[in-house]
Amino acid sequence: MTTSMTAPALVIAVPSKGRLKEQAAELFERAGTPLRVKGHERGYRGQLEGLGDVEVEYTSAAEIVHQLKAGRVHLGITGEDLVRETLTDVDGTVEFLKPLGFGQADVIVAVPECWLDVSRMADLEDVAEQFARSHGRRLRVATKYMNLTRRFFARKGVTGYRIVESVGATEATPTTGTSELIVDITTTGTTLKANHLKVLEDGLILKSQAHLLAAKSAAWDPRALELRETILSALST
Amino acid sequence: MAAESAQKFEALEAQARSLLDLFARAGYEPVAPAVIQPAGVFLDQIGEQVRGRTYVFTDLAGEELCLRPDLTVPVSRLYLERHPNAETQARYCYNGAAFRFQPLGPSTTHPREFRQAGIECFGAPDKESADVEVLLLAVEAVRSAGLREFWLRFGDIALFYALIDALQLPERWRRKLRHYFWRPPVFHALLTRLAKGERPDSDGLTAALAEKIAGETHDSAEEIVAAYLDEHAIPIAGNRSLREITARLCDHAADLRADPLPKEVATVIDYYLAVSAAPREATEKIAMIAKGAGLDIDAALDAVLRRFDRLERDGIDLERATFTTEFGRKLEYYSGLVFQVEAAGLDENEPVAGGGRYDNLLAALGAPREVPAVGSAIHTERLLAAVDKVAS
Repeated sequence: MTTSMTAPALVIAVPSKGRLKEQAAELFERAGTPLRVKGHERGYRGQLEGLGDVEVEYTSAAEIVHQLKAGRVHLGITGEDLVRETLTDVDGTVEFLKPLGFGQADVIVAVPECWLDVSRMADLEDVAEQFARSHGRRLRVATKYMNLTRRFFARKGVTGYRIVESVGATEATPTTGTSELIVDITTTGTTLKANHLKVLEDGLILKSQAHLLAAKSAAWDPRALELRETILSALST
Repeated sequence: MAAESAQKFEALEAQARSLLDLFARAGYEPVAPAVIQPAGVFLDQIGEQVRGRTYVFTDLAGEELCLRPDLTVPVSRLYLERHPNAETQARYCYNGAAFRFQPLGPSTTHPREFRQAGIECFGAPDKESADVEVLLLAVEAVRSAGLREFWLRFGDIALFYALIDALQLPERWRRKLRHYFWRPPVFHALLTRLAKGERPDSDGLTAALAEKIAGETHDSAEEIVAAYLDEHAIPIAGNRSLREITARLCDHAADLRADPLPKEVATVIDYYLAVSAAPREATEKIAMIAKGAGLDIDAALDAVLRRFDRLERDGIDLERATFTTEFGRKLEYYSGLVFQVEAAGLDENEPVAGGGRYDNLLAALGAPREVPAVGSAIHTERLLAAVDKVAS
């Protein structure tokens, strides 16, 4: 940037790619404050039309959680699943201002459909006992949601398992044999079905969607607070 | 090294040297296993909760590793490396750092990096003598470091298993109780359900299939299950065989039909797990509970008593000790005697030393047979702190 500018009063982080980016753009369009990318098309900075002292920062949905945690941005749009997976103290770190009605995804526990003897979380501990007896090891849960999985399994009293970290194609791991079951996100369930997996009856960990979030540790001066209200009410109409 | 000052470093070093000298004189060979260990071994043996307490990381080659959270597993792996057939007797001692994430932040008694000095005894066929030997050596070690005010807490996993074996139970329930013993909250919920005589879910696919195979032989049950999978074009996946899936459906079928387990079973277990008293008194109580329920656990109880007799003969003050039936339920690899040394000024969750018998661990780590094993580790920072406290 060559033109010198005054520092923005509020920074909002918005997903930089994929469906989340498009849906965020539609959201601000409808709210009457369209997103404007600064400079060339692939820029990582932008503005909200009509709100000159708001800066838009385009970054990945996962990075937005870290930016919020550090208070480097005031507001952010990202998935609740990433927030709850990444932050240890969710309530002390961010405030959920508004669910945005897109980016819906359920974080679920799914097992092979052929496990006819398993329908609930409680069955897993019994399977773990049987599995350890016949295979000499623990059940493996493939997931990228290590923390959500650990907390949910602990709450359900399931302990005879171990996590294997999976960053892609998690749903294929029980078929390829690198895991026995998975924790993953699903929207329609078609991918699970295609991989012959079924969701446990009480295996819904989180009904996630995109949220507008506020960073508790950001610098909230009066103008920033005012802008936060302006954006929130624009999104609410 | 967790020592916060050069002076403390010197003190810990000096203490470690004399502990190792003592262990070596008793016939334990000093060993130094690797600090960085494959994480899988710990996650498989201790479980996913270890991840919450262990520094687990992925290296540049993508391998999942950890900073060892204790030394028993690394020393056991070292034994197996040296003796793959696991036929040799070996006695090892060590002094080295172990690492644990402290969720409430590191403190003097809960440091994230601390030194364990300990002993492990592998393959000694006379288990009772090995138990006594290890325990006496651990006590001598803390005493030699200058600890005066301390007492022992005992538990015995084998005694609990003996109780479960003596109860009138279908085998599937016995297995379940043994497995759930290591998961106290679930175990408690299970006992409550038992006591209420609750039946498993009778609707849903699982129950419907269980109904269908009830009364069938295992082979024909398996055929029915296979036919169901075929009909619905469901492939076998997830590393469990048709046999395993059917076996659990058969268990479910049996639970649907069987009379609820008698309330007394839950009551006996509850009474047993509530016992915590001086060893003599505790064993009397346990004998009474068993007798009242008409259970014969004499052999296991005699073994416990014989060990206490020998410990007393060798100068252990049992009057000051406690036998707690619940004690030792945290580490699933324990299989018999468990004990810890508690010192004045430190609470029950901050033992100066601890140990026990773990006969199943080496087979789980890949040994071709079960290897009798017993060991003990001293938390050297706590030992130093406890000694200093009294001295100052």
